[in-house]
Amino acid sequence: MAGVRIRSSPFLPLLLALGLCGCQRHGPVATPSADDAPGMQADRLSVLRAADQPGYALADAPRHFEFPQDHGPHPQFRHEWWYLTGQLTAAGGATFGFELTVFRLALAPQDGPPSATPASAWRTRQVYAAHFAVTDVSRGRFFHATRYAREALGLAGARAAPFAVRVADWSVTEVPSVRTADAAGQEPLSWQLQAADGDYRLQLDLRSLESPVLNGEAGLSRKAPGAASYYYSMPHLRASGTLTRAGAALSVSGSAWLDREWGSGSLGADQQGWDWFALNLDDGSAVMFYALRDRDGRRDTHSAGTFVDAAGQATPLANDDVRISVQRRWKSPRGGQYPAQWDLQVGSQELQLQVTPLLSDQELTTQPRYWEGAVEVRGRRRGAAVTARGYVELVGYAQAQAMPSTPSASTAPGH
Amino acid sequence: MGMLWSASFRHLLRHPVQLLLALLGLALGVATIVAVDVATGSAARAFELSLDAVQGPATHELDGGPAGIDEGVYGRLVRTLHRVRANPLVEGYVTVGDHALQLLGVDPLAAAGFAGDGNDATQSRAVPAGPGSALGSGAALAQWLSAPAALLSRDTATRLHLGVGARFSVDAGGHAMTGQLLGVIGGDADGLAAVMLTDVATAQEWLGLQGRLTRIDLRVPADPAGAAELAQLSRELPAGVTLAAAAQRARAGADMTQAFNANLRALGLLALLVGLFLVYGTMSFAIVQRRRSLGILRALGATRAQLLRIILLEAAGLAIAGGVLGLGAGWTLGRELVSLVSRTINDLYYVVAVNSATLPAAEPVLAVGAALAVALLAAAAPAWEAVYSAPQLTLRASVLEGRARRVALAALGLSLLLALACGGIVLASGRSVLAGFAALVLAMLSVAATTPALLYAAARNLRRWRPLDWPPLRLALDGIAGSLSRTGVAVAALAMAVTAMIGISIMVDSFRESLRDWLTHTLQADIYVGAPGPGFARPERRLDAAVVTDLVRVPGVAGYTASRRAIVDSDRGPVVLDAMDITPTLRAGVDLTAATADVWRQLQDGALLLAQPLAYRLNLSPGGVLELTTALGPRSFPVAGVFREYGNDRGSVRISRDVYRRAWRDDAVSTLALKVAPGVDVDAVVGRLYAAAAGRQALQVDTPAQVRDISLTIFERTFIITRVLNWLAAGVAAIGLLSALLAWQLGGTHELALLRVLGLKRAGAAVMIEAQTLFMGLVALLAALPAGLLTAVLLVRVVNRRAFGWEIDLHLHPVQFTGAITLAVVTALAAGAYPAWRMAHAPLSQDLREE
Repeated sequence: MAGVRIRSSPFLPLLLALGLCGCQRHGPVATPSADDAPGMQADRLSVLRAADQPGYALADAPRHFEFPQDHGPHPQFRHEWWYLTGQLTAAGGATFGFELTVFRLALAPQDGPPSATPASAWRTRQVYAAHFAVTDVSRGRFFHATRYAREALGLAGARAAPFAVRVADWSVTEVPSVRTADAAGQEPLSWQLQAADGDYRLQLDLRSLESPVLNGEAGLSRKAPGAASYYYSMPHLRASGTLTRAGAALSVSGSAWLDREWGSGSLGADQQGWDWFALNLDDGSAVMFYALRDRDGRRDTHSAGTFVDAAGQATPLANDDVRISVQRRWKSPRGGQYPAQWDLQVGSQELQLQVTPLLSDQELTTQPRYWEGAVEVRGRRRGAAVTARGYVELVGYAQAQAMPSTPSASTAPGH
Repeated sequence: MGMLWSASFRHLLRHPVQLLLALLGLALGVATIVAVDVATGSAARAFELSLDAVQGPATHELDGGPAGIDEGVYGRLVRTLHRVRANPLVEGYVTVGDHALQLLGVDPLAAAGFAGDGNDATQSRAVPAGPGSALGSGAALAQWLSAPAALLSRDTATRLHLGVGARFSVDAGGHAMTGQLLGVIGGDADGLAAVMLTDVATAQEWLGLQGRLTRIDLRVPADPAGAAELAQLSRELPAGVTLAAAAQRARAGADMTQAFNANLRALGLLALLVGLFLVYGTMSFAIVQRRRSLGILRALGATRAQLLRIILLEAAGLAIAGGVLGLGAGWTLGRELVSLVSRTINDLYYVVAVNSATLPAAEPVLAVGAALAVALLAAAAPAWEAVYSAPQLTLRASVLEGRARRVALAALGLSLLLALACGGIVLASGRSVLAGFAALVLAMLSVAATTPALLYAAARNLRRWRPLDWPPLRLALDGIAGSLSRTGVAVAALAMAVTAMIGISIMVDSFRESLRDWLTHTLQADIYVGAPGPGFARPERRLDAAVVTDLVRVPGVAGYTASRRAIVDSDRGPVVLDAMDITPTLRAGVDLTAATADVWRQLQDGALLLAQPLAYRLNLSPGGVLELTTALGPRSFPVAGVFREYGNDRGSVRISRDVYRRAWRDDAVSTLALKVAPGVDVDAVVGRLYAAAAGRQALQVDTPAQVRDISLTIFERTFIITRVLNWLAAGVAAIGLLSALLAWQLGGTHELALLRVLGLKRAGAAVMIEAQTLFMGLVALLAALPAGLLTAVLLVRVVNRRAFGWEIDLHLHPVQFTGAITLAVVTALAAGAYPAWRMAHAPLSQDLREE
């Protein structure tokens, strides 16, 4: 591990404000908002941007996907995520957006040197982070919370069979009773999601009979010359369950989208951010597209996506296939300006969509801040009116983060 | 009015030495108490900071007793709690080189969430920048989680000569480990001055606590949902794990040093008391001296109100100037005392490093306020008397001195009343430490009140003693008796300082002798083996089981007793538990002061023996019950006896080791007490013991003589502060005496000048002055000898008993009085030196002209 460069990494902000010692109440460095403390850069872009490190498995060629094994973790890769977003409607008609995103990060390709004394069960090289957010549209409220844990003592972890991924008290686990293969030999997905903090508690059953959609080149998604990952999606999970709001239980149902991605490479330093769209159309089709932005504001040619028709047939979308124009912008009270309405056209699919956030402020005040929110969509496909619901992730718009000044901190140059 | 002011001002300028001494005395009196407060306050603050550092924003904590908490409990909490945040901690002590450090194992990922994850986008809160900043890279975090990496505060790293990236070896309970300094924490890291931070995993491995957590901190949000989760949690706690509010821990820490701090403060108050006497003396002399000029001013038409106002303002000005000087001096002195105080705290209580001094607000204000009040009172009485007498009377000293003699007689009566009050308080106040100190103060004041009358009587009677029939000496004695108003207060102040010195000297000696006796009595084995390391009753100070097995088989070892020392929770706060098997031969080493009839059988059955300080503090006696938190939950234990113990001012509990092992599920051994077979060389056995453990665990091997030496060294260190403060009080008294002598003798130089004209030689005049001051010193000593004894009894039987619960035997020895005799004689001679020199060198004509 010679010559490890000290530069931005997923844990920099997390550790900048570590409450290791909540002791320092005296002379705190005031930072502008609440979530800076544990603001691990658990947005997809930041994870991808960390320095390359040799020793990990690389996503450099298409591979054969195997389910349900590939729902489980791939610890030989540096990073991995389980990304669940969706929209729910309560019995009374109230609309909610939700996201539960879990990140796995390997801190080193191999285990550390064995210690002379019996090793503590806390020793690990895998750490997990998760974000849970609820967009309470009728109350105009956006709530989010964070969890971090190492893969030890059952604090966090993932497994393929029976499927489970957990960070602290939040989990997505397979419901064992329905785990039977259907006629086509395809295993139906039947998971249960549990997450709670603050005033919100979400318990959802997630089901799907469809096969995962492989994005990019048969599941190999290239985001920069040196950065590719394995990427599949399940755009049509049926969701039903209970959302408890301040102690009052609401019956909810709707649809959820699963994004799964793992790899070891990192993005180019000139890639500034992206706009990531995941939209379910009411005709049964779905659109995923990520528009990467370079530092000069231009769209990066690695931008790409997938169109999935109602029959589940996937068509890759290249950068040129999709035109996006920003209709409106929203200024974050915490600084920075985000696009807040888009006109999205996919010429090859004769698709024209107007994408509007359900709530302007769906910014996660983590470090760095990013916007991830529920959107509603109106438009036309092949001349017919369509509507859609979905999620958009906007990264790299928050102004330069007000990092706590750390002149007093220095760090060992690795070993 | 302008003329009055300038008269007052010029008077002060004409007597610069007296002005200086008055200021100095005032300043020193105030400085002493401020210094004590700075020292104790800073140590307490450092403790709070380290507690904060260790505790962070916790509202509650889970504690698992000496064996800690199963780490699985933490896993369950994390998986089930939605609102309450949990933070796992592994605590212990390690040594790096000569430096004792608190080792704190933390999980940065849990700590991040623990510090506060703002859930509400609308919420805004300042977030502290913690030492995590030193882990500012993924590589650093990887190392933190996977290797024995540590963080230190910048100052601590400097003290240990460790640079970032440096590898170091660390001793944890005799086990040598290696670590690497991953980074330093700068900025405002006061609380971490004696702390080494590592990952939970590293701390577990170093301390041998794999699978255990020392503590789990909880942050419970202040809302119904948080309270509901906490209630649920407390219902489902495993046996042996206790839930407590975080504030209780802070209180327990503060309680530990409370008695110690109270004693220091009392000593500071003693210095202030002596200082106040000095203020009184200085101010009243200053006014008495000016009776003549006041009389003239009155005769010239100045009103009484005008004169009173000027005098009082002058007194207030002096008091404030002296008080401010004293604050400054006390601050400086206090910073020096801090190291003494913190060393004692490290010896006796917990590891604390004091990096910065804190000035507590209340006591300095009290000290300056008291000085001001006394100064005004001291000035007002003679000033009132002077301005309300007929102007011509004011000019005559004899009137004043006649009054002083009556006052001296009245003071004698007052002394009796004070002594009675002192006795009454001691009898009536039960267990109050404060009342004990009040009685002490009354006793000292009572002594002080007798001195003017004693001085007068001694001077009057001694002049009739034939062997001393030398005219200048007779004159000198007459002079003392004739100017009681000036000499009386100075001698009273000196008497008080000498009394305190005798009292403290006897108390410390008695204590030392009791400790020595007790050690001789208690240390019955030939060799004591333990795990080295700082920290008292730390679980990581334990001998490896395999090492224990080998040690007791070393040739020459005839028998052994294994004991375990731990701190456990009781219904009355944490207590130190010594689990050992007290075999019939060892029973002789336990000095029981109270016990049930079948105490030893009861002990075998699970009853407790309580050390005197603890029994006193908890007000428990044989037949009582103490509830201790065991690994099986809270259990009630009967008290079978109370024994003498000076090893620990909080007192410990003895319990049978078998009972302890069952109830606390802890088989560890802290200390082995070994008996060597008759005729076998102890040193040879010690060598074999080291060899038996070599390569596995470093040992701390002590013979009874070494244990005694260590104990007595710590004891002496503890009382260094006491002695320093005592000498400060003596210094204040010396300045008072000097100032009084100057005021009086310089005023009376014309008499001596006359004697010299009549044939007295220069040397004779000097001897006469020294004889006068020596006489006053001896009178002070005379008053102080019985008073010192009384004070010693009060300190030993009342104050110490009430503060710590110790029963100490009074040990008297002539040596205890040498300090006091030296103080009285040296102070007196030193105070006379300048007036004597001046008398011997001043031209006669000048002094005569004044007549």
